Amino acid sequence: MNERHDGSGIDLDRALIQALVDRRLSRRQLLEAIATVGPVAALAPILAACAGAATASPSPSTAVPSTAPSVGAAASPSASPEPTPVPTPEGELNVYNWDAYIGEKTQAEFEAKYKVKVHYTKFPDAETALAKIRSDGKGAGFDVFYPTSVDVPALVADKVIQPLNLGLIPNATNLGAQWQNPGYDPGNVNSMPYMWWTTGICWDGDKIKDDLTSWESLWNPAYKGKILMLDDIREAFAVAAFRLKLDPNTKSEADLDKMVALLEEQKPLLRDYDTDDIGFMTSKSVVIAHAWSGDVYQMYDDVPNVKYVIPEEGAVRGSDTMVVPSGAPHPIAANLWIDFNLDAKVSAANTNFIGYMGPNAAAMEFIKKEILEDPTVNPDIALLDKLVELLDLGADLDKYTQRWNALKA
Amino acid sequence: MASTTTTAPRPVAGGEPLLVVSRSWRSRVAARLGAVVLVAPGVLWLTAFFLVPLAIIFVVSLGTKDAAGHIVLDHLGLQNYAQATRPEYLPAFANSLRYALITTILSIAIGYPIAYWISRYGGRHKILLLILVMLPFWTSYLIRTYAWMIILRDNGVLNGILQGTGLTSEPLILLNTDVSVILGMTYGFLPFAILPLFVSIDRLDEHLVQAARDLYASGRGAFLHVTLPLTMPGVIAAALLTFIPAIGDYVTPDLLGGAQTTTAAKIVQVLFTSGRDWPYGSALGFILMIVTLGGTLLALRFLRRELFA
Repeated sequence: MNERHDGSGIDLDRALIQALVDRRLSRRQLLEAIATVGPVAALAPILAACAGAATASPSPSTAVPSTAPSVGAAASPSASPEPTPVPTPEGELNVYNWDAYIGEKTQAEFEAKYKVKVHYTKFPDAETALAKIRSDGKGAGFDVFYPTSVDVPALVADKVIQPLNLGLIPNATNLGAQWQNPGYDPGNVNSMPYMWWTTGICWDGDKIKDDLTSWESLWNPAYKGKILMLDDIREAFAVAAFRLKLDPNTKSEADLDKMVALLEEQKPLLRDYDTDDIGFMTSKSVVIAHAWSGDVYQMYDDVPNVKYVIPEEGAVRGSDTMVVPSGAPHPIAANLWIDFNLDAKVSAANTNFIGYMGPNAAAMEFIKKEILEDPTVNPDIALLDKLVELLDLGADLDKYTQRWNALKA
Repeated sequence: MASTTTTAPRPVAGGEPLLVVSRSWRSRVAARLGAVVLVAPGVLWLTAFFLVPLAIIFVVSLGTKDAAGHIVLDHLGLQNYAQATRPEYLPAFANSLRYALITTILSIAIGYPIAYWISRYGGRHKILLLILVMLPFWTSYLIRTYAWMIILRDNGVLNGILQGTGLTSEPLILLNTDVSVILGMTYGFLPFAILPLFVSIDRLDEHLVQAARDLYASGRGAFLHVTLPLTMPGVIAAALLTFIPAIGDYVTPDLLGGAQTTTAAKIVQVLFTSGRDWPYGSALGFILMIVTLGGTLLALRFLRRELFA
């Protein structure tokens, strides 16, 4: 299976659709996944699970040295963090990242600096990407992947990704203090933070004149039929949790019953549950939406008066990371790519282009003033302690899924 | 290849009985082999890409999953099926059924006159007209569905025309409603209805209709008593080709639907993606399939009795 061909299939589809609707379509994609990678990506884990019972396949971790014997010395994760002499990277690199989620020149600059040909494949939603990365248990031939932080612990536990070669990533010291030791990956041993965001409320300032401050606005009957909730189990339950002053990572059935009751109350007022917050806002189908901060930045062109707030009750903070799959064919180039993206100027260029804030303290001086001063993407430091990161719930996720499906049915 | 042996004159008595046996045995084997060769690709294809995946889905539906969402096949049982019959999911199943039924009825109601017209009045342009019916397939279904979104949304093409001509002052909410879902599905499945309807209408001997008219049947009477009953196989085929994919449709209700239009397929999708519960999702998918299959068989039996009793 050649994933680069799959990837270009997605790109073609996306390009066509984009030409059609003339704007970025955000994460509308499971559908595209069905049209393109779906059948393969969707079936692969099942087949792998069934085959795994019959044949003892070599573990992903043992496969690494065999595919890249030359990195034996350099690949020790416990190598000293001091910059080691940079080994020669492999000639190619396969990157798998979200669509529209990197600076426009980053790839070309990396290729020029390290003489590496980068094959850049985009994915439209996290589930599709994870299904593909897990399809062979070791990354489907990709060298660098961008999972959301909440998914990192499971990828580590299942040995789908390998520890980073920190000796090749001296720019890790550029990370801000609060990113040096994140809960999902202490010490950033397996992943490096890439970008972060908050989930709050956005609204069309032309249609709603009030300054909204509370999640309650998403329950306001005055906006009936013009409200969007993100089609995301954890994010939606988190909103209810903040309103009820409960823990968004709760595992208590009683708490969840209260949360889902509140969401039931809201459902008749909603236009849709959808992750395409950009599409719904820019087409004026809704006037208020549960939205990701970085997406709001991408609405300005069509909704010039769009407003965003991190509600006073609190909000979710999320982050994306960069990891190296355990089967990466080009691990040196992969670690160098991660280091390159943590460079102060490169990181700032990425932020300046996509409008998401990075965790890079050294990059701040190179970030455009309009982004730094935009509280949507760079919230006031005082707000940061109101933010909660969603954690992996393991088997308790069922309690959410069951209620979510019953809510939507 | 079998023809030479089968047409060879058979020695009658006294000759070489052993050879006769061997020859006819050989010819029978050759004929069988021919049949096997003909049927093999289809059987292999269906086995590899339908029966085996179906069996995998069924086995997975009997399994459980661990905390990280991996499929566990240690304790096979019907627990997922027991859980799947929860009453909370009934509205989603009801939505799927309702959309599929309305789509089927609309597709036949719209498709029948079109197929009839192409067959009776298409003349030498019949083929061209049929190609036009299939023309939408040249564009990805996804893109066509996005096109409907652009037409139907609040600042879309249709609302622009309505407001531009002064027919409405506020945008009508069309997208993310029952109306947009049914419109999108009917649009998508209409060609699947027209093609079998055309085939059966086109095969109808026109002399039968003329005979009915000669026997003083009205136009309506001839249609109801001759044309419609004789084209009923086409109607049934059209209904099946529309209903079966419609009841499991995920793309259209998800893109064109809204918060109040959740279908069974969407429930299954959540279980397979963010819910990380493939066994439960497989069980729900299987139930949907069995309900569809059972309903189809019942409908077929009923229709056959109606038609041929």
